[in-house]
Amino acid sequence: MAKSRIRNKIRTFRFFHDEMTQQQLAEKVGVTRQTIIAMEQEKYSPSLELAFRIARVFGVPLEEVFTYEDEDKSK
Amino acid sequence: MSFQQRNVTVSLVNFSLILAFLVIRVLLLIAGGNFNSTQVFRVWGIVIVLAVLVTIFATILTHIVYAILQAIRTGQQNPKLEDFEDERDRLIDLRGTRVTHLVSSIGASLSMLTYVLGQPPLVMFTLLIFFGVVAQIIGDIRRLFLYRRGF
Repeated sequence: MAKSRIRNKIRTFRFFHDEMTQQQLAEKVGVTRQTIIAMEQEKYSPSLELAFRIARVFGVPLEEVFTYEDEDKSK
Repeated sequence: MSFQQRNVTVSLVNFSLILAFLVIRVLLLIAGGNFNSTQVFRVWGIVIVLAVLVTIFATILTHIVYAILQAIRTGQQNPKLEDFEDERDRLIDLRGTRVTHLVSSIGASLSMLTYVLGQPPLVMFTLLIFFGVVAQIIGDIRRLFLYRRGF
């Protein structure tokens, strides 16, 4: 499986939002807790819509939560 | 284990049992010298009816058991059930379906090949239903694998 080059700081943002639980975030963005876990472990890259919803929950722009790693860095 | 994962597991168990039934039934027909069109199409009918009915009842039963277990675990009378399908579930389902279609296509080709090579049409029909059930099982295994891996 090609490793995803999309990195995220969901865990960090959850910590800075009163240690928000994965379940709470999942309910706010309308996915299952397993999907949040898969995203935090960078095994699953969310759709653009879900990424925007997560960024909105944390009240920050999309690029602060999700970043796209350069091709040479990912190797 | 999520609700969708449970559903896939139940489907895997169902189709494994149906496959066992199909193989045993066909082998008994061959051993008893009753491998004729009436018997083979009867097995076809039973397998299709079993696949539809057992899947429906198993899904309903899984839902009920999951709700009861959640109620016991949380101590609430109407617990919140995470029984919806999100985008990751849909993608995993699509990937599983892709494997199912691939296996059933190869199976259909192999089944027809037996006819081309001079086997009776009954062999082709038996292999068609066999590969249909096997394809469903392999698709479910792929789905479970993706769930276990994360995606």
